[in-house]
Amino acid sequence: MPVVEARRVTRLFPMAAGPIAALRDVSLRVDAGEYVAISGPSGCGKSTLLHLVGCVDQPTSGEILFEDRDVAVLSEAERSRIRLMRIGFVFQRFFLLPMLTARENIELPQAEAGAAAADRRARTRELLEYVGLADRADHLPSQLSGGEMQRVAIARALANRPALLVADEPTGELDEQTGEQVADVFDRVHADGTAILVVTHNPALAARASRRVTMKSGSLVS
Amino acid sequence: MIGRALRATLIALFLGAAAASAADSPSSAQPPGVLLSRQLAARARVSVGDVVTLAVDANGARGMMVRVAGIYEPTPDPMRFTAQRLEAHMHLPDLAALVADSADPAARELASAINVKLVDAHDAGPFASELAARAPGVIVRPTSRTRDDDPFAVLDRFHVAISAVTVVGATAFLLALMVIRAEERRDTIAILRLIGISRRSLLTAVAIEGLLIAVMGAIFGVIVAVATESLVNGVFQARYDTALVFVRVTRSIAVRSIAIALPLGLAAGIGASWPLLRGQILSLFRR
Repeated sequence: MPVVEARRVTRLFPMAAGPIAALRDVSLRVDAGEYVAISGPSGCGKSTLLHLVGCVDQPTSGEILFEDRDVAVLSEAERSRIRLMRIGFVFQRFFLLPMLTARENIELPQAEAGAAAADRRARTRELLEYVGLADRADHLPSQLSGGEMQRVAIARALANRPALLVADEPTGELDEQTGEQVADVFDRVHADGTAILVVTHNPALAARASRRVTMKSGSLVS
Repeated sequence: MIGRALRATLIALFLGAAAASAADSPSSAQPPGVLLSRQLAARARVSVGDVVTLAVDANGARGMMVRVAGIYEPTPDPMRFTAQRLEAHMHLPDLAALVADSADPAARELASAINVKLVDAHDAGPFASELAARAPGVIVRPTSRTRDDDPFAVLDRFHVAISAVTVVGATAFLLALMVIRAEERRDTIAILRLIGISRRSLLTAVAIEGLLIAVMGAIFGVIVAVATESLVNGVFQARYDTALVFVRVTRSIAVRSIAIALPLGLAAGIGASWPLLRGQILSLFRR
C-alpha cells in the first residue's frame, strides 16, 4: 500500500526569462515501510520532488496522493496537519529551533498535535534514548555537534510517529563517521516500519536503501 | 470669616515693613487682620503676626496698619499662571476703610469686582441671573463656563490631538519593531510551518507576543510619566512661582493608555507577521 504517490507531476517555476521546469512528468511511489533513496546531480529536481511528496509544495500538473488523498484538494490547514502527524522532515541544515533545548525541540510537534504533557515527556525521553542522546536533553542546539543536532532532528521528525520520513541530504554537513551514525539511525527507523524517502549525494547512505532511483534534468532515469 | 472675606487684587499695593514701630504702638486696639499670598509675603519679607502698613497708594499715603493673620497659597489659576500673585485678603469693612478718601467720596467704590463663592456651584447660573436682575448695571457672570465657552476645552482638544499624533507615531514604531522581529524569525517561522505547526498556532503566539509588548510598553510609559510628573511640575511651578499642577497622570489616563495599547499591539503583531504566515513555506527560507 503506498504511503505517498506522485503521478506524472511537473513543477514549473516562473522566471522573468520564462518558466523553468524543475520536474517533468515524474511518477514515484513509496510504499509503507519502504526505504527509497533518490540520487542525481545538483539541480536535477530531487529536492523539488521531496517538497511535493512532503506536502510542502504543489505540482504545476499531475497528482500527489498521500495515503490515497489528493493533496491538491486539501486546504493549507489539512496539509499542515499531514506534515505534523504523518510526515517527518530531516534536512541538511538540521533546522532545529535555536532557542529551544533538544527536549523542547522534540516536544514541540507533539504539543502542536495535542499530546498530554506526561505523554510528551515519555515520548521525548524514549526518542532521545532511541537516537543515543538521553544525556543531551537539556542542551541547546548550539551546544551540540552536527551529528547530535541531526539526530535530534530525526527524533523530532519521529515525534508523532509518522508514516513517512523524508530527508534532504541528511549527511550533507557531516563527516563520514558521523554520517554513518545518522545512517544507522535511519536503518533502525526503517526496521521499525517507517517508510523513508531520502535525497542524497552520499553513495554509502543511498546503498542502505531498499530501492534507489536516479534523477537527471527533472526526470527519473532509473 | 476670612473664608467669606472679600478678595481684592490690590494694584500698586504698598506694604510697609512697619512691624517694629507698630509693635511699639500704645494703641490697645488690635489692627485688622489680613491674609497675604505666599508670593506677596515672600516679596515683602513678612511673616504671620507682623504688623505692617497697607496702602492703596504706591508711595504709602493713606496707609493702614494691619496684622498679618495668615499666609495662604493662592488657588492656582491656569488662566493667570504667568501672573505674579501679589494678593491680600481682607474683610470688606477693612477694605472700605483702606480705600476711603475724604477728598473723593467715590473712592469707597474702588472695589471693582467681588467673587462670591456659593455653597452649591451648580447654583451659579440662576444666582447670576437673579443678581443681575436685582442690581442693574452690575455685570454678574458665573466663573464656571460651559464646555463651548471654556478656553481649556480648546486646550483639552489640543491635547487630544497631540495624543492622537503620539499614538499614531507609537503605532508606527511598534509596527516597525514587530516587522523587524518577524523578519529576524523568518527561518524559525519557516521551520515551524514546515514541520506542521499551524498558522493558527503561530498567529496566536504572534498575537500574544504583540499584546505583551504593547501592554509592557504602555505600563512602562505610565511608570515613566508618573516618575517624571513631579519633575515636570517642580520645574514649572518653580519657573512660574505657582502651585498649579501642570501634569497629572490620573488612573483614567493610565487605563486608557493601556486600553489603546492592547488592540494596537495585537494589530501590529498580526500585521507584521501576516506576510510570513501567508507566504509559501519554501520562499521563507533564506538561501
